[in-house]
Amino acid sequence: MSKSFYHYPAWVRLWHLTNAVLCLFLIVTGFSMLYSDPDNALVVKFQRAVSIHNVCGVLLTISYTLFLFGNLFTSNGKHYLLNIKGLGKRLWKQGRYYAYGYFKGEESPFPVSSERKFNPLQQVSYVGVMYFALPMLFITGWALMFPEFILKKFLGFSGIFLTDQFHVILGFLVVIFLFIHLYVSTMGKTPLSNFRSIITGWQESH
Amino acid sequence: MILSRYFVCLTVILFVFSQQATARANYQDSLPVTRGAELSLYAEDNETNCLVCHGKLIYTLTDTVMGMTRKQLMSEQNLVIPGMFYNSVHWSFSCLDCHSEEFKIFPHSIEARFETSWGCIDCHGYDPNYEQYGFEEIDAEYQKSVHYTATDGLITCWKCHDPHYYNPLARQTRGGREYIIRSNEMCLRCHSNAEVMGLITDENVEIVLPKHEWLPDVDRHLEAVRCIDCHTRMNDSVLVAHEVMPADSAVRGCTDCHSQNSILMGTLYKYAARESRDEKGFVNGVMLRNDSYVIGANRSKLISFAGLLIIGMTLAFALVHTIFRIVVKPKDQVHE
Repeated sequence: MSKSFYHYPAWVRLWHLTNAVLCLFLIVTGFSMLYSDPDNALVVKFQRAVSIHNVCGVLLTISYTLFLFGNLFTSNGKHYLLNIKGLGKRLWKQGRYYAYGYFKGEESPFPVSSERKFNPLQQVSYVGVMYFALPMLFITGWALMFPEFILKKFLGFSGIFLTDQFHVILGFLVVIFLFIHLYVSTMGKTPLSNFRSIITGWQESH
Repeated sequence: MILSRYFVCLTVILFVFSQQATARANYQDSLPVTRGAELSLYAEDNETNCLVCHGKLIYTLTDTVMGMTRKQLMSEQNLVIPGMFYNSVHWSFSCLDCHSEEFKIFPHSIEARFETSWGCIDCHGYDPNYEQYGFEEIDAEYQKSVHYTATDGLITCWKCHDPHYYNPLARQTRGGREYIIRSNEMCLRCHSNAEVMGLITDENVEIVLPKHEWLPDVDRHLEAVRCIDCHTRMNDSVLVAHEVMPADSAVRGCTDCHSQNSILMGTLYKYAARESRDEKGFVNGVMLRNDSYVIGANRSKLISFAGLLIIGMTLAFALVHTIFRIVVKPKDQVHE
């Protein structure tokens, strides 16, 4: 018998929605800039893509700062605290479940509860994205808007070139994260139940 | 040998000065006598002490003992055209701020004539007010340049940038073609003149144009590119690189400039980004309308391809997992 519990407070849902919309714009315009050429605009005209990307990047920085404050001053922050001890074992357990146990009808080794929002794999990837990839994306993105602060040369390459490549690689990581995030979200009680949760705030559980 | 080298250099310097004086004469008519509405606090002192003679092509020499006067022609290298001086960045200075007080006495003593000239770095170096211009780095670059090393430092800052008339070209010309032409004029004053170059070296020196005939579309290159873009070691932390390299080290490869990862591209990007921000502010100049981005400027085909590949693999993995979910039909799972 499953019951529902209130899992995502309003500010988390609002932030998540803002984050999602801005990230989508950033990814689409980012791809558009990366793969366009003067004769082929891909998705958006190059200069328009630059403007949209810059505006969304600045807004995402603001939204991220609010998220950091939220994590600092509410209980949401505890979900992002990694317990290193036994982490490898827990990751293996969760990985094995996704690859094998899930199909055999085994119980989820780390079922979602009000105390545990993320399973170990999710926790590691969320911490990686929120506390490493995004801050580095902000630093490199802002640096490209203030290029005089970028090292002129590093390992024989132009500093701007390397900063840009680092920004692109991190962008790819976020895209990969997004796809996995979306896919894993379909593995709830029903394929759509997790999507409903992040909109209504109520999570179904055993 | 050393003496003859010294004389050759001295002759070159005198010749360079005479060339600059001709250039000054050309500009003289087009420039105002004062800098805007302001008048230098030292204008009267300068006039009384120095410009009464050095500010005129023909000056009057007076023998106070005998009470005789005589008109003389001022040599070009000692001439300072007041109109151009008061239009330069150093307009507010007194002559004696930089020149020895002993010059107040006429005839000038030999000690005064031996005064050491100030260089740019002597006033502008290590001063937080001028930090943004990077004078220290410019001086370090200049000391590595062929202008310094091949002439024992006799080709000083002043041979290209006369302190009496100095105005930053980039700010004076608003960039563009005029900036490039004026920048190149500085080099061509000597380097387009076989006679001047012949005085520097015994080698058979070719002047600029014949040496650049190998360039495709040579005229467009010379109109659109500064000499220093190819003849200095590029450094994107100073706006104008000063490490002039020997001719055989100049950039010759097309891809050195026309490529995605060129230092030139980095310099241009920084310059364009800053200009855009200074002119239009952060919101309009950086976020909304930032023309410093160039399609493909920093593109790495390898990384762009690898990114797509990994994303493709992720999607393929999700697809395989989905197929398994459909085929195996796992029991009712509660799982995030």
